[in-house]
Amino acid sequence: MKRHLALISFAFGSAGRRAGRTLSIAFALALVTFCFSSVLFLTEALRREARLGAAALPDLTIQILAAGRPALVSEKECEPIATIPGVVAVQPRVWGYYFVPTLSGNFTVVGVDTDAEDVQRDLSLVLRKGRLPQGSGAGEVVVGESLAAFLGLKIGDAVIFPVGRSTKRLVMVGLFQSQVALWTADVILMSVADAREFLNVPKGYATDIAVRLSTPDEAAVAARKIAELMPAARIVDRQLVGRTYDLTFDTRGGMMGAMLMSALVAFLILAWDRFTAVGPGERGEIGVLKAIGWRTSDVLVARLWENTLIGIYGALPGILAAYAYVFYARAPGLAQVLLGWSSIYPALRLAPAVDLGQVLVLLCLVVIPFVAASLVPAWQAATRDPYGLLRGVT
Amino acid sequence: MNSGNGVMVQAIGLTKRYGTGHSEKYAVRDVSLAIPGGQFWIVSGPSGSGKTTLLGLLAGMIAPTCGEVRLCGEPITHLRDHLRALVRRHLVGVVFQECALVPRMTLGENLFLPLVPEGGATEADRLKAGALLERFGMAEFAQARVEQLSAGERQRAAIIRALLADAPILLLDEPTASLDTENVRMILEVLLRLRDEGRTLLASTHDQRLAEHPHIDGVLRLVDGVLRE
Repeated sequence: MKRHLALISFAFGSAGRRAGRTLSIAFALALVTFCFSSVLFLTEALRREARLGAAALPDLTIQILAAGRPALVSEKECEPIATIPGVVAVQPRVWGYYFVPTLSGNFTVVGVDTDAEDVQRDLSLVLRKGRLPQGSGAGEVVVGESLAAFLGLKIGDAVIFPVGRSTKRLVMVGLFQSQVALWTADVILMSVADAREFLNVPKGYATDIAVRLSTPDEAAVAARKIAELMPAARIVDRQLVGRTYDLTFDTRGGMMGAMLMSALVAFLILAWDRFTAVGPGERGEIGVLKAIGWRTSDVLVARLWENTLIGIYGALPGILAAYAYVFYARAPGLAQVLLGWSSIYPALRLAPAVDLGQVLVLLCLVVIPFVAASLVPAWQAATRDPYGLLRGVT
Repeated sequence: MNSGNGVMVQAIGLTKRYGTGHSEKYAVRDVSLAIPGGQFWIVSGPSGSGKTTLLGLLAGMIAPTCGEVRLCGEPITHLRDHLRALVRRHLVGVVFQECALVPRMTLGENLFLPLVPEGGATEADRLKAGALLERFGMAEFAQARVEQLSAGERQRAAIIRALLADAPILLLDEPTASLDTENVRMILEVLLRLRDEGRTLLASTHDQRLAEHPHIDGVLRLVDGVLRE
C-alpha cells in the first residue's frame, strides 16, 4: 500500500511536470467523452420519459380511423367491449392537441372527470399547488408546472384562446407535477365539459377508449376480440408502445454511438501515435529510474497511475459538460437527431436519468482503452536496458 | 560488505557485442578485472573505447554477450530483471554522465527517487539526506530544480543519491567531464573521502588529472574495448 501511494504521488508529479502533454490529452479525452456522454444521457433520459409515459398508458387504447386518420369514437362502443372476458374497465376519453401558432407548438388538452372519486384521488397526488378544476364547464384548468413556467402563468391567471369562431377563457387554478417531463411541459387538465368545448368534441363521442385488463400480458388476445367487434378500429397495445419507443431510441442512440465509436477509435490511434508514445525525454527518465533501481513493474505502475489520472481528469469534465449540455442547455443539435426534428411541445426539459453505473461505463469506455494504449509503449521502453535508454540507444 | 576474498567488483571474460555479420562490433571484449573493497580505481581510455559500456555491464544495466559480473562475490549477470534492479538499488550506486537526474524535479525529489518503490522517504531518510546535502555543500539547493544546478552540482547530487541508499559500490561515468578545475578538485576530494570511508569506487574518465592522481589505487586502460594493463 505504501509503495502504491508513493508511486501514485510520483505519477501525479509526473503528470504535473508534463503539463502541456497532460492538458492536451485531457482536452482530447474530454471532447470524446463529451460526445459519448451526451448521446448516452439524452437517449437514457428520453427512454426514461417514454418508459414512464408508456407505464401510465391504458393496457389498450382504441381509436377509430376515418380516411386513415384518428376520428371521434362513439361512447356506445364501450358497452360491448366491457363484456369481453378479462376487461376490467372501459373509459371513453376526451383529449386532443391544441396548436398555438405564436408558440409554434402543441399543448395536449386532457379532459378529466373531476367528479369521480378515483380521479380526484389520483389528481390530488400530483397536484403541487392550487386545487382541482370544477366540472361545471367554468374553464378552470390545472397546468403542468413546466408549461406554466414556460407561459409565465401563476395560479389565478386567465388566458383566452381562440376556439372555432369564438374564444374560450381558461383560468389556471392549479399546478401539477409529474416524473414525466413530457407531461409537465405539455399537458393542460380541465373538466370533460370544458375539454369537449375546447376541442369541439360533441357529447356522446370521445377521442378514444381506454381499456384496462385484468392480465395485461394477454393484451393481444383482448385486442383480437375488440378488432372482431370494431373492424375499423386501431388498437394500441401499451407494451408494444413501450417496445417501440425503446427500439426507436436504441436505434437512434446506437447510430450516433456507432458514429462516435469511429471518433473514439480515431482518437485512440492519434493518442497511440502522438501522446502515449514514449518520447526521448520520458525514455531518458525511465532510464534514470531503472538505473537507480526501479523495476519494470514499478515504472509500469507509475505510468498506469499517471495515465489513469489523466484519463479521469479528461473524462470527468467531459461527462459534466455533457450533463449540462443535455439537462440544462437541452442538447441543441443532438436533441433534434434523437427526437426526429419534431416540434411536439414548446419546452421540454428532460429529467436527469443518470446513474453511477452509466458514469462508470463511460469512464471505462474512454479511460481503460486510453490507459491500455499508453501502457504498451511504456512497457516497451521499460523492458529495455537502462543503459540504452539513458544514452538514447534503442 | 566485502566478499570473502576482498574483491567487491569482479568481471570474468566480459564481452559485449553489438550487431551481427558485417555490422558486428565489440564494445567490450573479454575483460576481466577484480577491484578489492575500499579502493578507488579508474578506467581510462579515449572516447569510444568502451568505458561507459563496461560500467553499464558492471552495474547490471546491460546484458553481456558473454562473461560474468560479480558484485560482493555474488554473480549478477544471470539474475532476472527485477533482481538486477534490486542490486542497483541496494548494492551499487550508479552516477552516469547523461540524464543522471530527472529534469523538472527538485534536487530533493531526485534524491528520494530510489526510495519511491519502497514506499517513499522516511523521516530517517530525510535526516540522512539533509546531513549528506550539508556535507557536500548542497543544502541550499535542496529545493532547486535540476535545470538550475551546474554540471558539478548535478554530479554531486547524483553521488548523494547513491549514498542515500548506502550503496557500498559506486560506479561513476566521467565524474569530472565538463567541470572546471575547482569543481574537479572538489569532486575528487569527495570521492577520495568516500573511498576512505570504506566504499569501493570505479570511475571512467579520459581526464588525465584524475587518471594520474597520486591517491588513486589503480588504473585500468581500455582501448577499443580491450583491457591493457
